[in-house]
Amino acid sequence: MSKRSSRQSLRSGKANSSPKNSPQPPHPQVQRQVAQERLIPPLFEVAQDAIVLVDGQGCFVDANQAACQLFGQSRQLLIGKALSTFLGARFDCGTAFTTASSEPAIAELCSIAPNLLDPNKARREVEYTLTLNALGDCHLMLLRDISQRQEALEAELRRQRQRVELFSEVTLKIRQSLQLKEILHTTVTEVQRILQADRVLIYQVLPDGTGKTISESGLPNYPVLMDLEFPEEVFPLNYQALYAQGRVRAIADVHDPKAGLAECLVEFVDQFDIKAKLIVPIVQSITTHPTDAAQGQNQLWGLLIAHQCKSPRHWVDFELELMQQLADQISIALSQAQLLEHLEEIVETRTAELKEANRHLQQEVNDRIQAETALRQSEEQLRLITNALPVLIAYVDAQQRYRFNNQAYEEWFGKTPNEIHGDHLRQVWGQDCYERMQTYVEAALSGQVISYENDIILKNNRMRSVDVTYIPDVEGSNTVKGFFALTSDISDRKAIERMKDEFISVVSHELRTPLTSLHSALKILATGRLGNLSNEGQQMLGIADDSTERLVRLVNNVLDLQRIESGKVIMHRQACNAASLMTSAVEAMQAMAQQHEITLVSQPADLEVWADADYILQALTNLLSNAIKFSSPGGTVWLTIEPPQRQSQPIPQGSKSKSQSLKSNAQTAKLASKAARSATQNSKLRTPQSTIHNPPSFPEVVFRVRDEGQGIPAHELERIFERFQQVDSSDSRKKGGTGLGLTICRKIIEQHHGRIWAESKPGYGSVFSFTLPTLMEAESL
Amino acid sequence: MTSRRILIIDDEETIQTVVQFGIRMAAGWEVLTAGSGPQGIHTAQTGQPDVILLDVMMPEMDGIATFRALQSHAETKQIPVIFLTAKAQTAEKRQFNDLGVSGVITKPFNSLDLPEQIARILHW
Repeated sequence: MSKRSSRQSLRSGKANSSPKNSPQPPHPQVQRQVAQERLIPPLFEVAQDAIVLVDGQGCFVDANQAACQLFGQSRQLLIGKALSTFLGARFDCGTAFTTASSEPAIAELCSIAPNLLDPNKARREVEYTLTLNALGDCHLMLLRDISQRQEALEAELRRQRQRVELFSEVTLKIRQSLQLKEILHTTVTEVQRILQADRVLIYQVLPDGTGKTISESGLPNYPVLMDLEFPEEVFPLNYQALYAQGRVRAIADVHDPKAGLAECLVEFVDQFDIKAKLIVPIVQSITTHPTDAAQGQNQLWGLLIAHQCKSPRHWVDFELELMQQLADQISIALSQAQLLEHLEEIVETRTAELKEANRHLQQEVNDRIQAETALRQSEEQLRLITNALPVLIAYVDAQQRYRFNNQAYEEWFGKTPNEIHGDHLRQVWGQDCYERMQTYVEAALSGQVISYENDIILKNNRMRSVDVTYIPDVEGSNTVKGFFALTSDISDRKAIERMKDEFISVVSHELRTPLTSLHSALKILATGRLGNLSNEGQQMLGIADDSTERLVRLVNNVLDLQRIESGKVIMHRQACNAASLMTSAVEAMQAMAQQHEITLVSQPADLEVWADADYILQALTNLLSNAIKFSSPGGTVWLTIEPPQRQSQPIPQGSKSKSQSLKSNAQTAKLASKAARSATQNSKLRTPQSTIHNPPSFPEVVFRVRDEGQGIPAHELERIFERFQQVDSSDSRKKGGTGLGLTICRKIIEQHHGRIWAESKPGYGSVFSFTLPTLMEAESL
Repeated sequence: MTSRRILIIDDEETIQTVVQFGIRMAAGWEVLTAGSGPQGIHTAQTGQPDVILLDVMMPEMDGIATFRALQSHAETKQIPVIFLTAKAQTAEKRQFNDLGVSGVITKPFNSLDLPEQIARILHW
């Protein structure tokens, strides 16, 4: 008991403090203390919070009524017991008493006591504050049961969690669809279910101010509002503006004047048994661009409305929040739907574009197929045509390999076009024949149009004469990709030509012998040594003699021409001195000139030409003879020569186009000369013409024979070089010409790769000119 | 002008005649005639003319063969031969010259001019 006596008790304080010498008036401070001492114990007793005094060992010294209730023990039972017995393991006296703070702490209240007041509250939490050494060495502890507060908190948390779950569930259901109609339907159904409302609907505000219910969920015993259109008066514009700003209306009782509903509106809602309603806006942000939502402006799209029909209803905050959040969800869904719609528009546009592109593509494919078909048909036709022709038609590439052959190749060589395709010319024609072709092939591949004759051997070992033309396939300005080759059988023509040549030769020869006899006999008669003739007889003899001479010339010229044309004549060209040629020609014609009283003037120049002297002499004498014949007595005939000029002369009027082409292309001339030397006698070079190269200027001399005769009309200048063409056919007889002289001249000059032409001024005379290559050119050939 | 003996070998009788007439008339030379190669060779051997006028185109033995035969005989080898030809062309003249003939006279000719032509060719 010494322990108890040593401690002070709040209750015993009162007893202990009874003064021993009371008659003396107390000191004011003592009086205040006495008053306090009188007040504190009742306060201690009536305090709502539990108050205990514990000693340094943590044992109860005293406890008030509330503490006894809290711990479920009487005061007598508590005093002396350890505090830790009641406050569970979390409470450690040692720590609590050394580190006491003014902050309240939480401890768990154990219910080890058998006479626990409330058995349901097996575990309770207490909040305590500890004041160390509050009364001597006793600590003051205030405890408060906070279990109920905790429970309320937990209940609230639980409710909130439920709401979140509910909300998530609805949101999830809404989000599961992209179809606005379905979303709206889900929303009204779920809201109606959660709120246990009699009707939930979504009202859409239309641009003209009217509106209608577009989704509804309600109990079956109330009128349906679905698809019902509402007049504008029901929902005026100023209301719309308020809702657009986010106004929410919760009306517990539409008939309650505090609700502030207009009378007409009350009548209106009565139609649908509406007693209470909750309205939240569905607001949409208007955007100019879907991604630019931040700059949007809010517009009222519609309302989410819950109705209570059987009775008025007080709407709680949770219900309001749920409605608002779902309205937000609908708003999002609307934006998404718009985006989707926009997306669908884009998809639609793109699909249309793709369809169009596809159609174009298809058209293109069709066109191409058509073009290909046309091409195939065209190729087929070409093949049919080329195959039907009895000539060889081919395309040869730059590597001299066949790329196209017609059927005739098979008929001629026994090789199909497929077998020949890709073969080199040498493989198809054989080495010997190829050597004869090579020069021309190379010329064609250098861009020249080439024509020549050749002899080939067919599959039956028969020899055929062919005429070959190569036409270069020129790409761009100077790239030769290959050439087209056309080969036709001219064996029959050649045979006929040979027969003609032979015929002319035989006839000429056979004519010559009787002509000799006739000529000689007439001459002998004319001597008069076989008897004298009368004057008329002499005259007749003269006619016979002249005609015989003319006939002789004619036969000679026909034979000359035939020989040159048949190609039997080979010009033996060599360096000749032009001066000596001219002198020889003048000498040969001097007698005739004197006979015609013509002065021959020659201006020879010491120039070297590349020519067959005999033939050039023949040409010169021919031209001089013509000039003399067609000059008046007393006239002059000039024979002159012009040295080579740097530039090739312009082609004068009257020059033969053939010789023109020959002249215009020294390359061709070179080739021709080469070919003439290298090719066999039978592969005669004709007159290849070039279409590509510009005529290079090779030096050539010009011989001119000028007279002062009657002249030649311009339109006759070319014609006179053709056979039997004289300006006036009566001249022919008068002048004793054969009409073949100029033709022979032209042939001779062409064989020299020169050109010949006539210029004339009727009444003043004519100039016959021809060119010959100089030695300089000849050397380069 | 010294008298000469000419042999004309031609299968054409009229030619023989006009040649004979012309030469006799123009120069007064003696003219022997033969109508074929073999006959001409024989006449040449026996007659020993100063020049032989030989026609090129003759049946059977032509002028070229006759010329070669004349060349092969010692007694006719040295006799100059002038071809008479209807083939008046340069190329043929060259060919004949290459054979070794002394000259070529082209038909048709005036037989009265023959002595002059022969004299010029043989530089008489």
